[in-house]
Amino acid sequence: MYKIIGAMFVIGAAGFLGLTVANAYQNRPRELRDMQTALHLLETEIAYGATPLVEALDNVSTRVPSPVGRFMSEVARELSAGYGATVREAWGFALNGFRPETFLKEEDLSVVKGLGEVLGASDRADQLKHLRLAIERLKAQGHKADDEAKRNVKLWQCLGFTGGLAVTLILI
Amino acid sequence: MIPFGIHWENRKYAYTQEGDKHLLTVKAQVLMRESQTARGILNYLPPNLRGLLEGLPDSAWCHLEEVRLRVNRPIMINLPGRELLLDGRGQVVSNLADAYSVSADDLVRTLQLVTGSSLYAVEEELRAGYVTVSGGHRVGVVGRTVMDGDRIQTLKQFTALNLRISREVTGAADSLMPYLLDRKRVRHTLIVSPPGCGKTTILRDVARQVSNGIPALGFPGITVGLVDERSELAGCYRGIPQRDVGPRTDVLDACPKALGMLIMLRAMAPQVIVSDEIGRTEDVSALEEVINAGVAIISTAHAASLEELMHRPVLRNILSIRVFERLVMLGRSKGPGTVEKIVNGRTMQVISNGDCGGA
Repeated sequence: MYKIIGAMFVIGAAGFLGLTVANAYQNRPRELRDMQTALHLLETEIAYGATPLVEALDNVSTRVPSPVGRFMSEVARELSAGYGATVREAWGFALNGFRPETFLKEEDLSVVKGLGEVLGASDRADQLKHLRLAIERLKAQGHKADDEAKRNVKLWQCLGFTGGLAVTLILI
Repeated sequence: MIPFGIHWENRKYAYTQEGDKHLLTVKAQVLMRESQTARGILNYLPPNLRGLLEGLPDSAWCHLEEVRLRVNRPIMINLPGRELLLDGRGQVVSNLADAYSVSADDLVRTLQLVTGSSLYAVEEELRAGYVTVSGGHRVGVVGRTVMDGDRIQTLKQFTALNLRISREVTGAADSLMPYLLDRKRVRHTLIVSPPGCGKTTILRDVARQVSNGIPALGFPGITVGLVDERSELAGCYRGIPQRDVGPRTDVLDACPKALGMLIMLRAMAPQVIVSDEIGRTEDVSALEEVINAGVAIISTAHAASLEELMHRPVLRNILSIRVFERLVMLGRSKGPGTVEKIVNGRTMQVISNGDCGGA
């Protein structure tokens, strides 16, 4: 009796672990897409409205799902705090809060970080170039993430349960 | 600048003891209000510079004209006729060497606050060399220019900022108004003055009064079209005038004058067009268009005297066709905004001599 309950626990735990890993693989492409959407929206705000950055980021943050949306609103909040933080600082600070919340990898975040160095600091044409470049690079990361997801999601979903099953068989 | 307000508000109390007491309280109120207006620029300074300036007394703030920041140079605060230097603790010092030296970082942070961290949003303003901030104050910016053909593409590597406090002096044009009105219409007027004599302040108040109407003179308010090429008259910040320019005033912000006057004429059907600083050839043809359409024009020009005005070809042209009915000469013999002379532009006869500006 105890054996059966124990076995179910092991299988359940291992299965859950597998699903979590699979989930991470699934979420990364989704967040990369959200980030691209956010930058596209920012591009529109800057190109056609010449909206000041704080306002633009606030507008964008309401239209993209979190955590990307929350990241954008965090940057806006830092900038409007009125102590003269540069965009680079506000962006970096918000990025540190974003890191534990996101499934993005460091290589994805470095693209985002690079954008923070130049955002708001030049004329419109230049801003658009930087935004487009960042979007392109995120798109490339997105393809990679999609490939990985395709290969790994099914694998981890099954691997967790079968691994748990294997362990119970050995232990029994 | 302040005496305008005091003079105006206290006319009915003049020359009595009661009046003296009243004058003191009103004077204190006016000074506090002036000080508060000027303190608005603190929001555009980073914390360390804000700390330095915050300690200045209201008596300094109420007269403060400019705060100048130059990279690796002392921070300078300009009051009428003198400048203040501050050390790192906000104390006034007399020696340049003791003064707080502005770092490149200070300048970058100030610019971030001034532009709302978005240079791209103030592209056009930067090309003109200044940004208007909330409260109508203006920040002059210089640095290295990047040219695109013969036009400035943008500025970069900023080297100096000048935070200029803008004040409106309600009633600055009070004593001038009777000369500018002709029953229910406004005369074509040119206000002439050297820089820093309150030309813009007077012009703004004229626009406000014409738009408001002046019951004392039996003048109903009329529609005013304000072409504000340099965003100085109405002090628009994100499209909203920060200065009181009257209830019947339409503001066309940051539009070139010649173009703007014609747009105003067609779009808003004003009875008066107010515009700052005419002087280019295309302005003159626009001016003729406006006048022929039966719309009055009130404008300003840079010159120290009528003679000097005559030396500038374009302006001489305007004067020779005798369209302006009134020429108002300003000076600062009794403070900025002193009206030195009012001339009938048709006959070139002096109508009023000496100060009637009430400084």
